[in-house]
Amino acid sequence: MTSVLLSPPAAPALLRSLRPAASVGVLHVVRPIHTSQQRLAPVPPLPEKGGEVRHGLIPEEFFQFLYPKTGVTGPYMLGTGLLLYFLSKEIYVVNHETVAAACILSVIIYGIKKYGADVAAFADKLNEEKIAKVTAIKNNAIKDLEAAIEQEKKEQWRAEGRSYLFDAKRNNIAMLLEANYRERLLTVYNEVKKRLDYQVAMQNLKHQKEQDHMIQWVEKNVVQSITPQQQKESIAKCISDLKALSKSAQVAV
Amino acid sequence: LLGIPLILLSLLFPALLFPSPGNRWVNSRLSTIQLWLLHLITKQLMIPLNKNGHKWALMLTSLMVMLLTINLLGLLPYTFTPTTQLSMNMALAFPLWLATLLTGLRNKPSASLAHLLPEGTPTPLIPALILIETTSLLIRPLALGVRLTANLTAGHLLIQLISTASVALAPILPAVSILTMAILLLLTILEVAVAMIQAYVFVLLLSLYLQENI
Repeated sequence: MTSVLLSPPAAPALLRSLRPAASVGVLHVVRPIHTSQQRLAPVPPLPEKGGEVRHGLIPEEFFQFLYPKTGVTGPYMLGTGLLLYFLSKEIYVVNHETVAAACILSVIIYGIKKYGADVAAFADKLNEEKIAKVTAIKNNAIKDLEAAIEQEKKEQWRAEGRSYLFDAKRNNIAMLLEANYRERLLTVYNEVKKRLDYQVAMQNLKHQKEQDHMIQWVEKNVVQSITPQQQKESIAKCISDLKALSKSAQVAV
Repeated sequence: LLGIPLILLSLLFPALLFPSPGNRWVNSRLSTIQLWLLHLITKQLMIPLNKNGHKWALMLTSLMVMLLTINLLGLLPYTFTPTTQLSMNMALAFPLWLATLLTGLRNKPSASLAHLLPEGTPTPLIPALILIETTSLLIRPLALGVRLTANLTAGHLLIQLISTASVALAPILPAVSILTMAILLLLTILEVAVAMIQAYVFVLLLSLYLQENI
């Protein structure tokens, strides 16, 4: 029961059935040891460049390791010596595979030398595109937010000017009211004038009528008062006057 | 080599070539390229298949990558190419082909049987044609396995023979030896191409059989 050879899923259930002191101690054993950090992010960044290699195969550290004792040509002497040792002692036998090896290695090295930089640039481009896409999103978001901030500031400035707006509106309304008032005043004046004119016209008419009536009445009385005798006398007087006049006229001529 | 059992090292070496991408968003160059290649292969394989066929994505893609690796690594000197052995290729081809056949028979039996008769055949030819189609169907796993084996074995054999000839001629007629080496160079380039193409063809045909039957 306390064996740690039980499979992990089965073990805890069985082991938990032990008394608390023993179960806790045993559970510690089947719990996996934390050999690495438990956090998934942030991961440590990748180094910018890979390890330095010389001739594409041998790390630079090997050359640095041998430099103090043997100088610059040390590793090359080592390589040549080893090669010659293997060849001369026939530890490495030259057989058909050597020729095949020469061919395939030359093909591989030619391929790498010719296309290596391009492939590396392609891999870098893939990564760059990935980063650029996301950076573009970020930049767009930042631009949008900045534009929004500008808009907001503009709105605030507009809001500050609202007192002018209200003043203008107030002036407008006051003018409207004034104009209305004056219109009505004019109407009132016109109406009153009309009424007064009517009264004046009535009075004038009355005077006129009275005058006419009086003149007619005077004329009528005068005409009535002219008796027929007076009429003859006046006519005879007129005739004698006319004769006298005609005589004086004839004399004048 | 050197009397040291390097077999373990050589068995485990290919695992070094494919570093797992790690838990990060932007990877190293090697991982980026390998992931891009994997993405390309999977996309190309999965486009003609319907939704059910996507279950085969892992199988087909990993098959493709394995065959590519095995074929290309076999071109290095002193290596062994497992795909030159008929046993391994048949072990790959036969069960996979059988799987496509059985899926077809299980899910759409009449449709997969109808593949045995192409459209628009004149009536008198029908019995003969059914026999011919059945034969061609049954020969597919054999063809798949043997194609891969034959191509790779032939290539390796040619390389070895020509390089042996070159080595043997070197002390006698060095000029001929150099000529032979030129041939070998060209052959090697061909072999690289063949290695990649054979892997591709294998997986492509499998996916084709899958398309018909899924």
